[in-house]
Parts: sequence; structure tokens; C-alpha cells
Amino acid sequence: MEPAEVEFLAEKELVTIVPNFSLDRIHLIGGDLGPFNPGLPVEVPVWLAINLKQRQKCRLIPPEWMDVEKLEEIRDQERKEDTFTPMPSPYYMELTKLLLNYASDNIPKADEIRTLVKDTWDTRVAKLRLSADSFVRQQEAHAKLDNLTLMEINTTGTFLTQALDHMYKLRTNLQPAE
Amino acid sequence: MPSTQKPMRYGHTEGHTDVCFDDTGSCIVTCGSDGDVRIWENLDDDDPKSITVGEKAYSCALKNGRLITAVSNNTVQIHTFPEGAPDGILTRFTMNANHVIFNSDGTKIAAGSSDFMVKVVEVTDSSKQKTFRGHDAPVLSLSFDPRDVYLASASCDGSVRVWKIADQTCTTSWPLLQKCNDVISAKSICRLGWQPGSGKLLAIPVDKVVKLYRRGTWDSQLDLSHKSITQSLNVVAWSPCGQYLAAASVDGNILVWNVETQECIERMQHEKNYTICGLAWHPKHKQIAYADTEGSLGLLENIGDGKKPNDKLAGAMTKDYNDLFDGEDDNCSNGDMIEPQSSPKAGANEDNDDLMPTLGLLRRAIIDDDNSLDIGMIKANSSLLEKEDDDDQAGGFSALPSSTQQPFYDGPMPTPKQKPFQSGSTPAHLAHRFMVWNSVGIIRCYNDEQDNAIDVEFHDTSIHHATHLPNSLNHTMADLSTEAILLACESTEELASKLHCIHFSSWDTNKEWTVDMPEDEDIEAVCLGQGWAACATSALLVRVFTVGGVQKEIFSLPGPVVSMAGHGEQLMVIYHRGTGFDGDQCLGVQLMELGKKKEQILHGDPLSLTKKSYLTWVGFSAEGTPCYVDSEGIVRMLNRGVGNTWIPVCNTREHCKGRSDHYWVVGIHENPQQLRCIPCKGARFPPTLPRPAVAILSFKLPYCQVTTEKGQMEEQYWRSVVFLNHVDYLLKNGYEIDENAKSQSVKEQQELLMKLFALSCKLEREFRCVELADLMTQNVVNLAIKYASRSRKLNLAQRLNEMAAEKVSELATAPEDEEDFRKHLNAGYRSSATEWSQLPVRNVQQDQEMEDAGETGAYEEAEETPEVQEQRPNTFSKGVTSAEVTTPKSAVIVSSSQGRVNPFKVSPNRKDPVVPSANVLDTMSKYPKKTSLSSSRAVNKQNPPVIKPLIPKPKSKQALAASFFQARTPTSSEKTVEEREEKTGNESHQVKVTAQQNTENGRPKTGFQMWLEENRANILTDNPDLNEAEVIKEGMSRFRILSSEERMVWTEKAKRGSVSDLAEDKKRKRPTTDEDEVKKDQEQKSEDSNVSKKTKPLDRSTNVRLSAFAFKQS
Repeated sequence: MEPAEVEFLAEKELVTIVPNFSLDRIHLIGGDLGPFNPGLPVEVPVWLAINLKQRQKCRLIPPEWMDVEKLEEIRDQERKEDTFTPMPSPYYMELTKLLLNYASDNIPKADEIRTLVKDTWDTRVAKLRLSADSFVRQQEAHAKLDNLTLMEINTTGTFLTQALDHMYKLRTNLQPAE
Repeated sequence: MPSTQKPMRYGHTEGHTDVCFDDTGSCIVTCGSDGDVRIWENLDDDDPKSITVGEKAYSCALKNGRLITAVSNNTVQIHTFPEGAPDGILTRFTMNANHVIFNSDGTKIAAGSSDFMVKVVEVTDSSKQKTFRGHDAPVLSLSFDPRDVYLASASCDGSVRVWKIADQTCTTSWPLLQKCNDVISAKSICRLGWQPGSGKLLAIPVDKVVKLYRRGTWDSQLDLSHKSITQSLNVVAWSPCGQYLAAASVDGNILVWNVETQECIERMQHEKNYTICGLAWHPKHKQIAYADTEGSLGLLENIGDGKKPNDKLAGAMTKDYNDLFDGEDDNCSNGDMIEPQSSPKAGANEDNDDLMPTLGLLRRAIIDDDNSLDIGMIKANSSLLEKEDDDDQAGGFSALPSSTQQPFYDGPMPTPKQKPFQSGSTPAHLAHRFMVWNSVGIIRCYNDEQDNAIDVEFHDTSIHHATHLPNSLNHTMADLSTEAILLACESTEELASKLHCIHFSSWDTNKEWTVDMPEDEDIEAVCLGQGWAACATSALLVRVFTVGGVQKEIFSLPGPVVSMAGHGEQLMVIYHRGTGFDGDQCLGVQLMELGKKKEQILHGDPLSLTKKSYLTWVGFSAEGTPCYVDSEGIVRMLNRGVGNTWIPVCNTREHCKGRSDHYWVVGIHENPQQLRCIPCKGARFPPTLPRPAVAILSFKLPYCQVTTEKGQMEEQYWRSVVFLNHVDYLLKNGYEIDENAKSQSVKEQQELLMKLFALSCKLEREFRCVELADLMTQNVVNLAIKYASRSRKLNLAQRLNEMAAEKVSELATAPEDEEDFRKHLNAGYRSSATEWSQLPVRNVQQDQEMEDAGETGAYEEAEETPEVQEQRPNTFSKGVTSAEVTTPKSAVIVSSSQGRVNPFKVSPNRKDPVVPSANVLDTMSKYPKKTSLSSSRAVNKQNPPVIKPLIPKPKSKQALAASFFQARTPTSSEKTVEEREEKTGNESHQVKVTAQQNTENGRPKTGFQMWLEENRANILTDNPDLNEAEVIKEGMSRFRILSSEERMVWTEKAKRGSVSDLAEDKKRKRPTTDEDEVKKDQEQKSEDSNVSKKTKPLDRSTNVRLSAFAFKQS
């Protein structure tokens, strides 16, 4: 899967916006949205939120976890634990990126949040690499990784499986020679 | 010495500690550098209640259940006492406050801060602040004049100043203290004090003496000193009676003087000679609590027991006593588990006590004799005895000096009047505040060093774009509507109070206007309506302007304004009707219409507020119903249905998580029922940043037992009724209303009533059933009657029937306005039915308010008839006259058959029902009404079994509409009755079937018609997307394909069908329909309501087929 595809999936997540226009309930294939009342928070998918935001039709209310204190806690927890800790949202990276790119003016301490999420991400990806490394090194047959998000799996999945294939081929070729 | 010095105990971590008693003296309250406030029931309280107020608490004061603390985040906070819930921030400084105090009646506090400032703030209204500038160094201590005229302050700049509170001027200043640059480096914190009661003397600890200054002349009256004082005095404290003065020094010396005699009556030494920084007298008993800079707490008891203090002796023996004191201190600390202190002399020095010059000597001695071995016991016993004594003496002790105090009034105390406010605004003293937040937008005001500006933002940007205005006039009040922004400022020395309106929706180029108020008239509240603006002034006037700036009405208010709100043509003014007592406000409300017809709706009625609360929000719901919110979070709404009374519709505090959380209301909507507000954690109002988010609360009327099903439904029913009141109001005033929403809620109400009815039926509460039925509309009553008879409650059914008949006769006697109009409408097809053309009309009127429900009812009526017929098969016999029970049915039959009938054809059974019956009439009255409903057309399309093209082309529109209606009835009723049906069982299906047949029988049919009815379903399943005309065309072609014999059979059938007597039909069809019912019942039971919905149209067609089968058989 392309990262863009993962991002596309993430855009289905709901966020809260405060619209500055009035619109009745709209009926879409994915379900009904609205009604939109000026000044009243309403939940919409990220794609719509970003669209409205770009047209300056709404103000975005960041998700609850997008808060410096909470993210610091998550980052510290992630650093402390050897295994992966559960993330506040299965699309935390994508959402952070999307929302901070398009609605950073509605998110207090946007830069800090960006750094914190990036830190968490780096920690997790490092862990992932490390575990892949030990997996290959110890020639394990199977491994279990919990609490990985789609984007994280996507970063390493294809490469790892292909690499394992290659290694398998090399090994099976080696063995008859011995 | 007579007084006992209880052992010190650990109170807080080391650092500055403050101590005070609560109003009754039942507990000691301390605050310390650990940021906690502790509430000690007594000195031995091992588990004091702790309230964390901040990182560090510098000073605390307690009065009237309010605890104020000066904490390290530079704020002065209020907490409730004894609960300890935060109750807001009173004021802020740029550095921490060093001392906070209450004035004598607890309405104001004064705080002195390290930023050189002294502020006096009103406790109930933190916006009323007075700032005293003049000190050139951190302020150390403060003292309120008991008469509230002066305020004394001591500062690190070495001066002690007396300020006049009213105009914040410095009355006098003495350079008494040593200069220093910080509180920590100050030699003494110089806690000074006014003499309670008269406030004649001001006591200031200056170095080693206490200087007493005389009020007014401000000259030094006398000095109190003592030889034993070797270090500078830190704190003074007056006894509540004003007769004694206690002072404590930095080396832990505590002395008490009788001020009149200037005698030192007590002298005490801190057990470790630590600096004493807090000193407080018990409000009743002769006790002093003290705290030292190490965070320990101590208590002196029986102060002044030595009424004949042997000062000489004490003075002469100071040196010796010092040793003795030490010994005693050691003894004392023996009992103290926290500060373990070895005391080899314990017990040995026991008789030190005896050497004390004291009147209590005797008693002490006796105790000693008894318990000389156990010091702890002695302490306990003696303190017990002392307590008793104190209780006895308390009266005398305070009674003696009471001559100097103001006479004590024990009745209800007047409440300070609430200040005027704008709804949806935060306090004016804040640098960043909301001037208004309403359903239109937000006005924010920034008032800091860089900027003094107003930001206007609209929720709906299509109204107007956001604007930024300079606030050069210092506007404090604002309102916002979809037409204009209204701003107002109070008068200053040079400038008059101004009303400033930015009428952005104006079509000319001049969008702003200002009006100056007359001199000495300050605007206190403003509001905007549709096309007008109003302001209330300090001259008790309300001035109304047009939105363009034309001055209009002026009227006087009966009292000072509290708040105003406008909506459409309505203006609501809340004002003080009088003085409230014991925390209550005494408010009145005027509501008036400023439209073409000017009238007053509420004539200054008293406003109901929760006890001890004040008004926090006034406004209108989006639909125009007046509402208000009090400080206890109760939202009340005007109930126009019950003679303009106020009904509580929500308690926002119920939704709060914490005790100190509040909801700040910003808007109320009746449809949908929404209370829009902003959750505020630990505060009453939100900060401007971060931008608060609106939350939606639901309404809930405070009905009893809402946990039970009954209570819940009752609450829902009445809520629905209350929130529908606005419809009547809007209609009356010629506004548009949302018909859909209205009919929806009417339907909901009737459904709730029916549910309640069913519930009561189940509980065998028949009387209650009748009461409920009384609330129902006619049609639902009929359903109820059916339900009752179904559930074998014949008595109930009988009663309901009587009631229904009564209701109708009542209606019938009522005068009729719409009659002519109705007649005209009906004329097209009802001219023949002269004898009852009037009655239906009446029902029309009744039914007008409930379209959907009525519709349902109409159908149900039809539904019901056959059922009763079952019971009395002779209904149709010609001789039947006006038997109460039977009449309705016969009429119904007519009506239901009539619905489809070509009005110009005279059907034989039309004349059958000679007796005009009430219950029935609404059914028929429906039909003409439906003509106007465009929705019926829409429904029509989805509704295959329409036989419109087959009816001989109707000449009048009404008849056409009638056929429309008939066609759509089943679907709409299926929806609405669905729920009820679940309860009433499946019987109704059978009933429906028969009803259907009745109607069909009422009209001659052609063979093709009958055939089509039977085969419609087939055609439709083959070609699902055919419309009505196409279906018929298709049907035609299919019919033509049939053999001529078959066609003949149909024609035959049709003839027979039209000729055959109704009653005969009934007889013939009964068995089949019964079978049908059984079958369907079985089906029904296994299916949920959704499925049944789907199957119904199918059922219909099968029924038709079955009936056709019956015909064939015959």
C-alpha cells in the first residue's frame, strides 16, 4: 500500500469542527452529515473538515489527544516500554500531519505537537526496525507485534516480506550445496 | 500564668504560615508554604482536612463560608468553606500577594502584593476592584478599618499608610519601619490591626513596641511595650472584643495587653523561639492560635484568666521564668508525638505551674494532686475543664466589651444588590474578556498594555465578516444581532456615557451612529432586537431607539436594572424590585412587545430564583421564549401555556463533573431542544484563550420519579408540551412556523400519552387511564377506547366513550368562526349531506393543530368500526338511532366510504346513518384539508394501490384530493400506529382489512377495476418502476389478453359487488378475513415491526385477492 492510500483511509476518521455557515443535513454514500449550525460543533470526516477549512468555512477543534501534555505522556511511555504502546488513534501520524498542515492555526502549540508526534513515531519505527532485525538474526519463524498502526506496518511490511523471501531463497539454495 | 500553652504541632512544611479561626471558632484554619490550607477541628486533630490551593500559600482569610488565599501564582482565590471547592479567582497581581484580609462584614477583601499594589475587591463581584498605588516596595500587611472607611497598609518601603477606601487616597503615612527590598529580608512582617468595633485605634508593631494611633488625628496615642521583648515584634492581633491586644515577636515571644490599662496580662514564649508569623484570636473563647515560620501551629488557652495580672511579678521574675518556661515547654512537648523531645525534667518540674501567678492556680493544683504522675492526663483534664469554663465565660467575655461595638443585629441580613450585567459576558475587569457571546456571534474585548480593542466575530460568516474595532471610548457593554453591533460605555469625567451602534446591515453608507446620554446618566445595560436597540440607564430609564438611530419610546423602570434582552419585537428587562435578604436577590421582570401593537406582557412580576442565587444569564430562546439562568445553574423558561409562569427546564449543575465546574450558557433552542453552553472547569465563565468549545445539554423538567417508566414519559410529554408553546405564540404573532416540526412533536406527545395509557391499563389504573385520555386528542382517544376494549376493560372503554362524546358535544356547542370558509370548501361534494355538514367543520378546527395525529386517527377510526360491529352486528339495521355507543360506528362507515366516493354520485348507504355522531366527524373533516398538502402527492407516488384513473373523472378538486387521501392513509398510519400496534396486538390488521373492504364496497366498480386490484401486485412485481398511469395501461393490456369468459366473470362480480348489501358482504367475508387474520397473526409474531411495515402493502393485495376469492365462491 502506498502511504497516500493509508492517508486516504485516515481521512475517514471523524473530527470536530465549528462551521461558520448553516446547512441542513447532507446525505452522502458514507452516511449522513450535519446539520451544520454556525457556532455549533459537529463531527465530520477529516476530508470534509480539511476541505471546509481550506475554504475558510469552519474552525477545527483538535482531537482530544492532540494536546502537548497527553502526547508527552505517550512519548515517555513509548520510550519506557520495550513493546509498542497503544496509540490514541489508529491514524495518529496521518491525522497529525493532515490537521497540522491545513489547520495549524486552530491547534494550540502546533509545533510542539508536531515534534512530539514525530518523536513518538521515530521511537516506534526504531523499535520496529530493531525487532525486525532480531527477528531475522535469530531466524525466528514467527513474531507478534501488537498496537502497530497501519502506517507503521506500511513502512516496513513490503520490504520485510520481500527481504525474507530473498533470504529464504538464498538459504534454500545454500543448503543443497552443503 | 493562667493560660495554657498547648504543645506546638506540625502544621505545614517550613516557611511562612498563616492562621485564622472560622466564624464560629469551631476550627482553626492554617495555610503554609506547602500550598495547602488545613482545617483543624482542634489542636489535637490528627486528620485535618487539607485543601490544596496552590504551590505556596502566603496568607488566608475566612469569613461567611468563603476562604480566600493568596497563592504563589500571583492570584487571590476563593474557596468555599468548609468544602474547599474553588470558587473562582478574585484578583490577580503581577507578583504574589503577601496578605489578604476580609473587612468586618465579609463583603470585601483587601490584598497587598509584592508588586507594590493594594487592591480592595468585592467578594461577590470581582469586577468591583479598587487599586491603591503609592507604596514603593512590596506590601507587607493590611488591616481593614472595621467601619470600612480606611485601610491601613505596611510596606517594605518602611512606611505604614492609611488609605481612604472610597477615593483610594492616602490619608496619612508614617515612616516607621526599616526599609528593605523584599518581604523575606524584612525584619518584621508588621501585621498591623485596627481595634475591632469602633476602630478607634490602629495598632502597629514597630520594632519592640506596639504603637497605637488614634483614628482621625492619626497621632500616636500610646506605646505598649514590655521588658521581655528583646526582638522586634512581628504580629499584632486584637481580641474580637477590642479590649486586648496580642503581639508576637520574631523570637517567639507572645504578649497580651489590656489596652485600657496598658497592662501586660499574658506572656508566653514559643517553645523553640521560632519567629511567630501568624496570630489569631478565637472569636468567642479566650484562645489564641499562632503559627511560626517553621510551619508549626500552637494554641494558647485561657488568655486573660488572670484578670488581676501580676505584671510586676511577671516583670520582675522574667529571667527566672524564662528557665521555668523552658521547662514547662518541655513538659508540654512530652505529649507531642510529632516532635519528640526528650525531657529529662518532665514531671520534676511539674509544680512550675504552681508558681504561675494565676487565678486558675487552685484548680490546677487540685488536678496536679490527683494526677501528678501523668502529664498527659493533666493536660487532657485541664483542657476539658477549661473548655467548660470558657463556655461559661464566653458570654461574659464578649459581653463586657460589647458596649464599644456596634449594636448587634440578629435578623436577616440584606443581600448586596446584584450589579447590572450583559448576558453572555465575562467580568469587565479582565484584560481579555467576552463582551457578548450569543447565537449570532462573539464580541471580545482586549484591554492590555499594547491594545485596547474589540473583536467581533460572527458564527455565520454569511451575516457579516469578522471585524476589529479600536476601543478608544472604553466600551464595556455590547450586544450583537444579525443587523447591528451595539456598544456602550460608562461616563468618564470628561465624556458622557455613550451608546454606539454599528448598523452593518444598513444599505446606505453611514453605518454607525452614537448617542450621548444626558449628564449623570450612565448606561447600565443594552440590548438589540429586530429593528430596534434599547439601553437601560442609571436614571432608571429604558430608552428605545430604532436600529438606524431614531429615538423612540422611553419608560421608567421601577428599580435599578440588572439585565436586558431583546428578540424580535420582545424586550425583557430584569431589575431590582427591592432588597433581598439572606443571600437572595429580589428581582422583577418586565416583558413587552415593541412591535406595531405595543403591550406589556409581564408587568414587573417577581422573578423566581433559586435560594441564595443571583441571575447570570437572561435571554430568549431562538424561537423567542424568554429564559434565564441563575447562579445555581437552573435554567428557567417562560411557560406561555400556563399563564406566563416560569418553569425550570434544566439544571446545568447536574451535568457538571466537579463541584466548582459550571456551564456558561450561550444560547437556548427549542427546536431542536438544545441548551448551548460552554463547560468551564473550576470557574463560572470561560477564558478567551484557548477558544472555548460549545457543548450541548439536553433539557429535563424536574418531574418526580423520572427513573420509572411512568415518570420518564410524563417528563417527556410535558417537556414536549412546554417546548411547543412557542408555536402558538409565533402563530399568534404572525410568524412562520415549522409545520413539520410541530406535527412531529404533536405526534410524539400523543404517542407518549398512548404509551402512558397502555402502562396505566397494565397496572389496572383505570381512573388514571381516563385522566390521561382527557389529555388526548379525539382520534387518539378512539384508539384508547379500542385498546381498552381489547384488553377487556369494558368499563373503562365505556367511560372513555362517554368522555369522548362529551368532548365532542362541548366542541359542538362552541361558536364557530371558520364555518363559512369550511362550508365553502366542502360545498363541492358535500352539499347533499346537509344534516351533518356542520359538525365535521367543528372537528376540523380541533384537528387543525394535529395533522399527522389526526390523519392517523382518521384511519384508526375506520379501523375501529368493524371491531365494534363484531360485538353488535345489528349496527347497520335501519332502525338504529342515537345509542351512544353505536352511533359512532355507523358514521364512520359512511365517512370511510365517502372518502373515495365520487361526491356527485348518491350512494345508497350514505343516507343510512341518520344520526350525526361526533366521534366520527374528524375523519371526514380531514379530507378537504388534505387538498393543500403537497406532501400527499409525494406519498401518493410511492403508493401503488391508487385507483385514481379508474374513478369516473371527478369534477371537483376536493373529490380528487379525497381519493389521494384515501390512498395514502394506510401508509402514514402504518408508520405512526406501528408502535401502538405492537401493544394492541395484531388485531388491528384484521380490522384494517375489513375497513378496506368497506370502503371498497361503498362504490360501484367495473370488472377491470376489480381485476386490476387483484393483479396490481403482480404487475408491480413484474415492472417495479411503473408509475400509476403506466400500471393501469399495463393492466389494461393484460386485461385485454384475458379470455372473454374471464372478463365476463369479472364484470359479473363487479355488478354483484356493487349491488350487494353491505351487511351481506360482511357476513360473507367474515370467515375469510378471520382466517386471514390468524395467518397474519402468526406471521406478525415472528416478525419485527420493520418487516411488518414492508409486508403490509402485500397483505393488502392478498386481502383483495382473498375477497375476490370470496366473491368467486359465491
